[in-house]
Amino acid sequence: MDIKQRFENIVGTKYVSDGLGERYIYSFDMTENPPRKPLLIVMPSTVEEDKKIIELANETLPPLVPFVTGQNVGGLTIPQVEGAVIVDLKRMDKILEVDEEAMYMVIEPGVTFGHVKRHLDKHHPTLRYTYPLAPPYTSVLANALVQGLCDLSTTHGSMTDFINGLEAVLPTGEVVRVGTSIMGDGNWFARYPLPDLVGLFSGWQGMTGIVTKIALKLWPKKKFEGFAALFTFGEHATTHLIKKIARSGISEDLDSQSLSIIKMLLKVPYPVKHFDGEPDYGTVIGYTANSEIELNEKFRQLQELVDTAKEDDPRIVLIPWPTVVKLMGDQANEWIDFPSDAFKVLAEHDGLTWVGTYIHPKHWGTALDGGRKIVEKYGFELMAFMKPLNILHIAEFKFIFRFPKDEETIDRVRKCCEELLDFALSLGALPYKTPIWSAKKVQKLADPAFFELARKIKKLLDPNNIMNPGRLDL
Amino acid sequence: MTEISPMEEWLYSCIRCGNCKYVFKGYAPSCPSGEYFNFESYFASGRLWIAHGIQKGELDWDPSLIDPIFSCTTCGNCEVQCLAPHREHIVEMIEELRHLAVKKIGALPAHQKFAERIESNHNPYGAEHHARTLVQEHSLPNMASIVYFIGCTSNYRENEIRDSTISILQKAGVDFTIVDEHCCGSPLLRTGQVDEVTELAEHNRTEIQHTGAKIVITSCSGCYRTLIKDYNRLGLELDVEVVHISQFIRELINEGKLILKKSFEPLQVTYHDPCHLARHMGEYEAPRDVLNFLPVDFVEMDEIRESAWCCGAGGGCKAAYPEWSLETAKTRIEHAVETEASTLVSTCPFCKRGLADANNDSMEIIDLCELVDRLS
Repeated sequence: MDIKQRFENIVGTKYVSDGLGERYIYSFDMTENPPRKPLLIVMPSTVEEDKKIIELANETLPPLVPFVTGQNVGGLTIPQVEGAVIVDLKRMDKILEVDEEAMYMVIEPGVTFGHVKRHLDKHHPTLRYTYPLAPPYTSVLANALVQGLCDLSTTHGSMTDFINGLEAVLPTGEVVRVGTSIMGDGNWFARYPLPDLVGLFSGWQGMTGIVTKIALKLWPKKKFEGFAALFTFGEHATTHLIKKIARSGISEDLDSQSLSIIKMLLKVPYPVKHFDGEPDYGTVIGYTANSEIELNEKFRQLQELVDTAKEDDPRIVLIPWPTVVKLMGDQANEWIDFPSDAFKVLAEHDGLTWVGTYIHPKHWGTALDGGRKIVEKYGFELMAFMKPLNILHIAEFKFIFRFPKDEETIDRVRKCCEELLDFALSLGALPYKTPIWSAKKVQKLADPAFFELARKIKKLLDPNNIMNPGRLDL
Repeated sequence: MTEISPMEEWLYSCIRCGNCKYVFKGYAPSCPSGEYFNFESYFASGRLWIAHGIQKGELDWDPSLIDPIFSCTTCGNCEVQCLAPHREHIVEMIEELRHLAVKKIGALPAHQKFAERIESNHNPYGAEHHARTLVQEHSLPNMASIVYFIGCTSNYRENEIRDSTISILQKAGVDFTIVDEHCCGSPLLRTGQVDEVTELAEHNRTEIQHTGAKIVITSCSGCYRTLIKDYNRLGLELDVEVVHISQFIRELINEGKLILKKSFEPLQVTYHDPCHLARHMGEYEAPRDVLNFLPVDFVEMDEIRESAWCCGAGGGCKAAYPEWSLETAKTRIEHAVETEASTLVSTCPFCKRGLADANNDSMEIIDLCELVDRLS
């Protein structure tokens, strides 16, 4: 019996394919990372099937690459070795539990942000989750495991910080849980106390097992919400003001971006350029309250911070959202209603990538200033994204590129991304959703003991090295 | 085939963001194929990237590509949900890819039969061609201001639609006739067998011209789309106004030419938007206006209009992928059952067939023409 038949025996013939089309489609993602075709694709629907797949892989040794909803970046689901089997988990798509009292949900890998929103709006309208600047049908579990950012990150950190616990099939086939759910079902309310073993799975890019369930924090939905748009000039002045707003705690979400991105939303055609005299950055500021009085007071405090900044630069503008809607039309309400709506500006060509890092807040302005010069040197559109995380314990430094996937442009994208990362690393930043090329650069500069520890953990958990080998260049 | 290649013009703006997979902001599934087959290659973005791979020489023609390329009802829901620049051209690109596949690998056996039967009997069912005999049967004139273009499915399978349409037109005193129509070509266009369609279109144009008609009415959504949109793309404009029967009935009722009965126990009805009439041609209102005129209680399903779930019968899928087609129709029946209506109404004979085959006596499945004929 060949290996395909053995996988078919586990999940059924309908859910295994080695067709040329499937192998091609699963061989690349939207980014510039080089493709590699898998041997086949298998689609389990239960934890038991996941377990059997891993047991079979331990016997026959094809590498397994976890995959969920298909909007992948950083080459995270591109096999790094020949003969890999993609384990597409999108059939595991149940919202298993929402606990209103302890405010968490337990979900399977295939559950997307869109489906969470629909479910909560319908069945638990007092609770909310969070949404990234990503397509609405991105896997919530995958985003949490790869430390993605979202519209609650300014207040609560990366999505990994929302994890209460998880269930995983280890590379050796055992099913384990971490967090308070080790005391039984209906008990996923916390990640601690005891050793924080969520860390064995977050940031590992599928190298330490297949995560089959995850418990994630939900948040109370406040009755009143307000938004404002802030337009600023210069990297240092902008980050200085954003830091002040973040530290004030007024805002639940601060989403800063190059003005070019605002112009893209307004349908300015490609390539979008920046002109002298225009603001450099536009920031969407979100804030919530339990009463209208509190909401108005928050806006007043926000205005006060901006007014102080205007003493140095009178060109700074803070615009209340109703005025933004008057200027830009109803689409402005669409962006705040569901941030993924704004993702459409990124769909211009057949390629999209970014260099995204966590950086010390003190280097934020310098990083943006230097990054901007690098991007301009390579002739790409200016698409900086920045967000303060956890009030301001961390800053996000990111440049996005939309590009046609032709050889010349891919080469230029790679060179520009490398130069941007080199610059960010020189400021002590670390990349997230880390591609292989990026991990290699980190390893050259970082404390080798960290990667040695990571290798030891990987070897301990996965003695046959079957789970997504090659990621992070371990 | 159209001279402009949609693939050349629009293929290179899909990053596979996946918005095509679900109803935007509604979060219900939008792609019958992807929902059933699950692999990425069975969603619109996967198909575009197969085309991408073929065009760039990264993917060779292979029989294993057949299923992802042809198991698509071309319902166009992906076009509504997609936010990328190419969104209005996805179905055109899939049809162009199918055309290339037919040239390189050949048509699917089930689709090849369409072509053979159309050549021998002028309809894809291989039924005995009899369009013209209806003229004698209903004492219709040779020349008339209006032609009723029946369509093969109404004429050779769902005869009730044909008969109720003729009945309505006669009740309203409409001056119409029927021509020696051949298949409009839709089954061939949808399955990549484009080269044979021009001859069919030319025949139909000539037949319609001989009647002196200025208006063509059709009770088939597939024919409606083909006679307007596809003939136009092929450079074969009919020089007449093509009207869907739902639009015509609305006009007859508005002008008082069709008198409706009163009903003391109104039916509970819901309405399924056929892809070819609705998403492809933008006609959402006429059938609803007619239903609102009728003595029925009309209730809507959740997924309707631009985001309506497909019946599963289109794009050559009922013939080539019957099991999946049936599952897709069952899902639509479930949507209808949730409304607690007793009757599911559509405006396309192919939808009626597909839905009826999946119906487990949970509902009455009828065409709008049948309902109007019953209540007028």
